[in-house]
Amino acid sequence: MSSQGRVAARGFNPNDKKYIGGLLITPIQILLTALLVFPFVLELILSFSEWSPVQGIGLWEAVGAVFTEDLDQGINYSVLITEEPRFLEALGRTALISVTSLVLEFLIGLGLATIFLKAFPAKRVFFTALLTPMMIMPVVVGYTWFMLLQYTGPVNQVIGWIGGSQPELQWLNTGFLAFFAVVITEVWHWTPLFFLILLSGLNAVPQNPIRAATVLGASDWRIFWSVVMPSMKGIIIIAFVIRGMEVIKLFDEIYLLTRGGPGTATETISLYLYKLAFEDFRLAYAGSAGFIVLIITVVLINVMLRPIRYQLLEKR
Amino acid sequence: MAIKLELVNLRKEYGALVAVNDMSLKVEEGETMALLGPSGCGKSTTLNMIVGLETPTSGDILIDGQSVSKIPVGRRNVGLVFQDYAVFTHMTVRGNMEYGLKVRKVGQREINQQVEKMASFVGLADKLHRKPAELSASEMQRVAIGRTLVTSPQILLLDEPLSNLESEMRHQMRRELHRIQLETKQTIIYVTHDQIEALSLAHRIAVMNLGVLQQYDTSYNVYHYPRSTFVGSFLGNPPMNFIKGTLKSAGGQRLIEQDGARIPLPSMKELAGVSDGAAVTVGIRAETADIVPLGSPGSFEAELFAIEPQGPEAVVTAKFANTLLKVVVPTSAVPKGSGSIALLPHANLLALFDTQSGVRLMNGAAS
Repeated sequence: MSSQGRVAARGFNPNDKKYIGGLLITPIQILLTALLVFPFVLELILSFSEWSPVQGIGLWEAVGAVFTEDLDQGINYSVLITEEPRFLEALGRTALISVTSLVLEFLIGLGLATIFLKAFPAKRVFFTALLTPMMIMPVVVGYTWFMLLQYTGPVNQVIGWIGGSQPELQWLNTGFLAFFAVVITEVWHWTPLFFLILLSGLNAVPQNPIRAATVLGASDWRIFWSVVMPSMKGIIIIAFVIRGMEVIKLFDEIYLLTRGGPGTATETISLYLYKLAFEDFRLAYAGSAGFIVLIITVVLINVMLRPIRYQLLEKR
Repeated sequence: MAIKLELVNLRKEYGALVAVNDMSLKVEEGETMALLGPSGCGKSTTLNMIVGLETPTSGDILIDGQSVSKIPVGRRNVGLVFQDYAVFTHMTVRGNMEYGLKVRKVGQREINQQVEKMASFVGLADKLHRKPAELSASEMQRVAIGRTLVTSPQILLLDEPLSNLESEMRHQMRRELHRIQLETKQTIIYVTHDQIEALSLAHRIAVMNLGVLQQYDTSYNVYHYPRSTFVGSFLGNPPMNFIKGTLKSAGGQRLIEQDGARIPLPSMKELAGVSDGAAVTVGIRAETADIVPLGSPGSFEAELFAIEPQGPEAVVTAKFANTLLKVVVPTSAVPKGSGSIALLPHANLLALFDTQSGVRLMNGAAS
């Protein structure tokens, strides 16, 4: 009591427990504000202008103009949504690639995880081998599949062995096939993550309800769908959320495989943004597009989390 | 009555461990049989083998005289209620209760009828739409029992049904089980490690230890005529008193001597084949000895050690030679002061065991 009184009398004392926590996190707070919050706010402001560094207008001047000059503010947003088919197409394409990849990754991952619930020879070797793809850098994965899918590459060669004659499949140069090339690469790369999450989920399913259903006479198939899967609901949603956030941002692999081509056949939203910003230098415009994607992503993730929101936020 | 369930030399080995060792017994239709034993004695393994979740190493299981060993789990028409209830937490009470009927492809109208009848039988008629998360432990238990009973199983198996409940609920659920027993006339097999539960609910008790069936008899006989020191010590609270000693004779009277102190034995036919000098253990149930005036015929002396009043009765601890004995007597009969007291065991309930093997010298019960 008396010591506290003295401290209070002397004013600020850095050794006081009250201040220690604040002092310790201040440096990282400053760093994060500088690296994350500041650029975010700046980009948000700029996204209402038509600024580009090649216009010869300084960055601060442009920021100031957003607030002071009587320009047609927010034109980017209305143009993007109403007059820019390439943007909307990229959004749709991203959605299509995402849904196709995630569904395939989920189904294959679930199948593999189910197999891994039982014992079989060399299980450990298969386990390690199955997990390897997700540990490889996206750039390496992209380049590997770029090589594999060449016209004269191994994939066509193997199809040739099976089918009898060398197929004329231009994997990376035909719109339809390029889409599948991207999906195949993505599925190969990230199925292991689904597999790992679903396997740990399956292992955590309580055994007694399964046994109870067995004793009640339910078939394995029925038990799987009526008892096992419902108790996996939370973990399945989490897996989709984690992968969903990643796949929406899909960039490196496509960049190496097709650069978004042929034409715009595999141009996802990330590639479109990249081209806008760093090839056309329309930074503010790209920023507006980026914010639209951010809003869509946030809404989407929240919708996905809805069924388990209560469970996650429930007080214990 | 017809024999509902018969186990014939049922055996289960896990590697070198023998979980259930050649167990044989018969359960009559409509009877409640308790499998009683300490944890790890093989009672749950036995239960799982009857249900079909475990495959016996050898031996056979007969239901209504037919072997079910080859019938896979789920087709034997036996019901199992798990210790942790194992209700389907994502389904409503109704969803849980109709599960077994849906599996059996019963029509929806029939299902609704039966589920509603069962729900009111187990007292959940107004909770059919609830999710298990909103139910109390005893309600979940009733969901589990209803879910099983609605499929009209041949045998209802209950695995430690009361051990996850608080003591208040335990009494209530015990009454509930008693009612189910009476109203359904269901053959019930009840696994428990609690002797009170076994004694209060079961017609017959199978006491198991280390995978071996120790005794299988009516609840009355298992309690009053334990066949081994294990059964005597496992049932009863306080457990049976055991006094190890040497059999002797003095003036035509057989007696047990421990460190010079003696207990005179009543004339028992069990003693006929046992010669003097044999190592024998006397078993006296705590409530089958009276405190009598010193020097009474047939009594023996012990030093008063402690008195624990428990309302209408008291547990009196006395020291005989180097063995502590506990007897339960009415509060009015509690000795005053300290020093020696005389104890007179009820002659017909006195048990004699071979000290070496722990086996009763001759079974007092007609079996």
